[in-house]
Amino acid sequence: MFSITKEIDCYIECIKGSHLLPLVVAEISLALLLFAFYLKTRKPIIRIFSIITAQLFMLFAIGTIISAMRCSQMLTIEIYTAYVVLSTLVIILLPRVYYRILIKKYKAKPIIDIMDWPQNFVNTLNEKSKVYYYDSAIPRAFASGKMIFLSIGMLELMNDLELKAILAHEVWHLRHNNQTPLLRQLSLMTFTKNLSEDELENLADTFAGEIVSKDAVESARAKLQ
Amino acid sequence: MVKVDRINLSNEGLTKFFSPIEAQIMEVLWTNDNSTTPEITEKTGIPLSSVAGTLDRLVKAGFAKREVNKNGQRVRYLYSATESMDNTANAITRKVLDSLVDTFGKVAIENFHTYHNKK
Repeated sequence: MFSITKEIDCYIECIKGSHLLPLVVAEISLALLLFAFYLKTRKPIIRIFSIITAQLFMLFAIGTIISAMRCSQMLTIEIYTAYVVLSTLVIILLPRVYYRILIKKYKAKPIIDIMDWPQNFVNTLNEKSKVYYYDSAIPRAFASGKMIFLSIGMLELMNDLELKAILAHEVWHLRHNNQTPLLRQLSLMTFTKNLSEDELENLADTFAGEIVSKDAVESARAKLQ
Repeated sequence: MVKVDRINLSNEGLTKFFSPIEAQIMEVLWTNDNSTTPEITEKTGIPLSSVAGTLDRLVKAGFAKREVNKNGQRVRYLYSATESMDNTANAITRKVLDSLVDTFGKVAIENFHTYHNKK
């Protein structure tokens, strides 16, 4: 039967007499330091780097504790190891597969099949991004991975300038906040708060306003309300 | 969801079988082939935010069909009704009659005869 007091006793016993204690302390301290850095920093790439490195240090610490252990059946260690391994895998793999799931879900096709200029315009801002369209009258645009998705309803509704503003808005999400879904996921896993959806949308709109025009952004927004 | 599978006898006209927005859109499509989305919103007076989702549902349910029309560097949908209003009325009537006969058997058929003779 699992008992938290026995678990704690076991940890103390395991670590107390071990010559690996300084190493364990160093690894856990570094992990905590990196986690604190993750909480403090705002830059997406640094946040992701710091949380993954923190997780790796925790894994090293667990490995060190296990090798120093004289106890068995430490359920908390097993659970935490499983959490770290799974969450690290999800963090690394999800952005690489999620857009493929979206392409299948929406039966999306490359926009160059029906019109050239949106892809050409996006290429000038971000060469690696691809624009896809999908069959729906509901005007929607979103970005995932390296892909921008537009519904035909959106293509119908917007004039060229407004569409450029929408594409620039989505490119911002890809360029500056490529990992937005990832950060949201991280914030869930680490019980912390990221920039709100509104704040991200406003930053993307500001970028679109600079690239195309503020009027185009405003008129696209007005059409979608 | 298109309402045909959950008929509401207390409603008026086509709204027995379709939601009010679906009914208005279908009326436009039955009378105008190759309607664009702005034409449908204009003729029904319903905002695009409601029309777009309803059009997706009508297409999915098979009452409306659409094709993507490319005009230069612009694309738009052209909507038409899949069947004429009479054919749709036929299909709905058959569905209702089948359902009544399935549920009530002879009683339903006797009532059809009585109804027919009265007419």
